[in-house]
Amino acid sequence: MNFLIVIVVFIAMEGATWVIHKYVMHGFLWVLHRDHHDHSTDGPLERNDLFFVIFAIPAILLFYLGVQQGVNYLFYIGLGITLYGMAYFMVHDIFIHQRAKVIKKTENPYLLAIRRAHKQHHKHLGKEEGECFGFLWVPIKYFKMYFNKNK
Amino acid sequence: MLQSSTYLLVNFFAVIICFIASFDKRVQFYKYFGIFLISSTIVAIPFIAWDVWFTDMGVWWFNTDYTTGLIIAGLPIEEWMFFYCIPFACIFTYYCLDRFFDLSWANVFNNVIVFITTIVCVVAALLYHDKIYTFVTALVTLGAILYLHFIAKRDWLGQASFVFIILMIPFFLVNGVLTGSGIETPIVNYNSQHFLNVRMLTVPIEDAVYGYSQFMLNVYFFTLLKKKYSDKKEIKSALTE
Repeated sequence: MNFLIVIVVFIAMEGATWVIHKYVMHGFLWVLHRDHHDHSTDGPLERNDLFFVIFAIPAILLFYLGVQQGVNYLFYIGLGITLYGMAYFMVHDIFIHQRAKVIKKTENPYLLAIRRAHKQHHKHLGKEEGECFGFLWVPIKYFKMYFNKNK
Repeated sequence: MLQSSTYLLVNFFAVIICFIASFDKRVQFYKYFGIFLISSTIVAIPFIAWDVWFTDMGVWWFNTDYTTGLIIAGLPIEEWMFFYCIPFACIFTYYCLDRFFDLSWANVFNNVIVFITTIVCVVAALLYHDKIYTFVTALVTLGAILYLHFIAKRDWLGQASFVFIILMIPFFLVNGVLTGSGIETPIVNYNSQHFLNVRMLTVPIEDAVYGYSQFMLNVYFFTLLKKKYSDKKEIKSALTE
């Protein structure tokens, strides 16, 4: 049951990420997210990186309340959010933005689709125009693009 | 006689191999002895103050059967030496690994490390605010990591953390003996009211976390001063040419 909660939260986080990305990061907190698109900040750290502190807050609260109530479902919701956060960093920092030069030459259609969609998202330097706000799940057309190519 | 030198010998063995290897011509760590002394002193001051404070409060105390008997500000002289001997071995290891291997691949985990450290430390501090060793350790580690990542903007958190994982092996040997592995009674004793009582073998989990923040700060000040020193040397040699 607890395992199920973690999985469901993990999947739901994809939806939450889409909403937050589209309406918060590209909305009233664009000031923090902008440099991730136009690279206006020098150095290895982007102002955008502050977002993960913001995203840590709900996980912290859920862990805290969950443990206080004898490690109940709140704890596992927190765990789901945390694991999603970790997956996000792994894929976003390492694979997509190539902070590490690994898995550069993949032929895995799923990975290629994610990267393509994220590129599509980054094509737009401004706040208003935008597409592909999701992260681990991307529009079917990108999957099709790579699956068909392989045939 | 030998028993009273136990803690002294722990310090000695922690440092001796690294010290001798410092003079190897491929390593030449002896050139940085001065820089190490300054940087480790900067880190030692707050950490010794913390140690004096906790010893005074009875969070932990020392079994003087294993020490030579010289006590300053409540701490045996061996405990004072600990704040130079252990950082020396750690910084020496970091320096060598960084010099002979490319560890930069580990830095892609910087964000994940800071993310997880933040969550774990804040949750621990909130849950165990009544256990002072746990509470202070969580806050110090949180502060150190957030400072290094967001203010000092160091890009080596991943590789330093990786080296720390390797250092866990000697850490368990040294801290194991101090906390009672392989000897009759521990050299350092802890008041169970003030910490989680989660021990890895005999080592309290707080010791490992506090060791992490101490190590990261030592790396920070050492690399900072080392860079200043080499910049200065470059300017000097440019001027004399």
